Amino acid sequence: MLEIKDLYVSYGMMEVLHGISVDVQDKELVSIIGPNGAGKTTLIKTVMGLVKPTSGQILYNGEDITNIPAYKRAGMGIGYVPEGRRVFGKLTVEENLQMGAYELKDKAQIAKNIEMVYGIFPRLGERAKQLASTMSGGEQQMLAIGRALMLNPQMLLIDEVSMGLMPIMVNTCFEVIKKLNDEGITVLVVEQNANKALKIADRGYVLETGNIVLSDTAENMRKDDTVQKAYLGG
Amino acid sequence: MFTQQLMNALAIGSVYALTAMGATLIYGILGILDIANAGAYLIGAYLGWYIYYATGSIVLAFVLSMVAVGVLGILIQKFIYSPILAKPNTLSIIPLVAAVGLFTMSSDLVRLICGPYSLSYNFDFGVTSIRIGSVVLVPAWILIFALTAVLLLILWFILNKTKLGLAWRATANDTEIAKVCGVNTSNAMALSYILGYGFAAAAGIMVGILYNSITPALGEVPSYKMLAIIVLGGLGNPLGTVLAGLIIGFTEVFLSAYTSIPIPKDAIAFVVLIIMLLVKPEGLLGQKNKV
Repeated sequence: MLEIKDLYVSYGMMEVLHGISVDVQDKELVSIIGPNGAGKTTLIKTVMGLVKPTSGQILYNGEDITNIPAYKRAGMGIGYVPEGRRVFGKLTVEENLQMGAYELKDKAQIAKNIEMVYGIFPRLGERAKQLASTMSGGEQQMLAIGRALMLNPQMLLIDEVSMGLMPIMVNTCFEVIKKLNDEGITVLVVEQNANKALKIADRGYVLETGNIVLSDTAENMRKDDTVQKAYLGG
Repeated sequence: MFTQQLMNALAIGSVYALTAMGATLIYGILGILDIANAGAYLIGAYLGWYIYYATGSIVLAFVLSMVAVGVLGILIQKFIYSPILAKPNTLSIIPLVAAVGLFTMSSDLVRLICGPYSLSYNFDFGVTSIRIGSVVLVPAWILIFALTAVLLLILWFILNKTKLGLAWRATANDTEIAKVCGVNTSNAMALSYILGYGFAAAAGIMVGILYNSITPALGEVPSYKMLAIIVLGGLGNPLGTVLAGLIIGFTEVFLSAYTSIPIPKDAIAFVVLIIMLLVKPEGLLGQKNKV
């Protein structure tokens, strides 16, 4: 479904991704793990069109999207949950969800999708008219996921969902991600919390200083000595 | 006397709010202080003058001048600010310097084309004054107040009740994520410019009507007073700007009418600003932490 081919990305003079290739099959849940600063967020941003690669290709459903501007990618079926949540703090919960459905013209459909998100996260329904900035980190993370679901995406890109959350919220978020995947949404997770990320994944990649150093099924990775030492705490 | 001062303060406050609104909308979405807005105000006033004396219509003077200056705003955004901001790691001083340059250029262009003298701005309203009981109302005040109210209501409606406005607010909040949601953010920026420069043009004409004359130096005082107003309002907050404009207008009118403080009228805005910043540094309606 998503194919990243030999991707190079630089910020100014500094190259941060040195020829990355990652592929995600239809209905798969793939996790990319790696330490802070490895280039995980850059990789996701490049897929979303927020960072321009210096070379390489991004194929989505076989179509080359490398040079399509970010705002035209929204309607293609990729939902994005950014690092640090980045909900629109000055908009209400409901307005945030409306922004997630910006590409939709049909008001009834938008209302239906908002109800669907409230069904997944009842908390958001209770806070519909509240400004997003006044909510807790966990609630904001739910909103960020909800916003990404507003266009009924085929695929979700999820960047550091566990960052800055209480352990109980981290578990809730991973459960929701797993459930969405079971319902047929393809998911690519980028995560420092390797333990959780590999537990729910079908396959995994390890990204270190801009290179993919390992890729395998999630099960094998959990058993792998070096992965255990470096990322799973022994 | 008091009612007279009140109407005068409302008219001046309205003009201030409208003048600063352009800079507010632009700061809100691009994060730059566009001093050149005061140039839009100047050019708007002159265009309004020429259109009025060519057609005899106050309505046409407002509409055509606002549209022309709004289009000028879009051109300035597309060809000057966007290329500057597109460069990686642009220091925020660079667009500011460009804005100062644009403003200076607009003042000098007006001076070269229209002459360095003042033009008399005698718009004919049909009546010179309206008397209600003991209160005498100047038609210009009513026009200014009513027109500002209409323009600000239109702005409020666009920002809060339309999809375009939602996209604008989202873009002002987080441009990158708005883009990912499918907003063509350069259109949201263009909206800021067409409204912002159009409003500034209307404010320019209003000031011409209010003081009966315009000169090429018309934009100088607003170019810095505008800053006091948008900072007072909480940088980039449209409602705060309206409040701040009215507060400054009222303070100026009432302080000079009822007290004999020795500071010049145009300095009052800054005294208010300094007091405000000491008490509430984030401005009237600013948020402490940007989310």
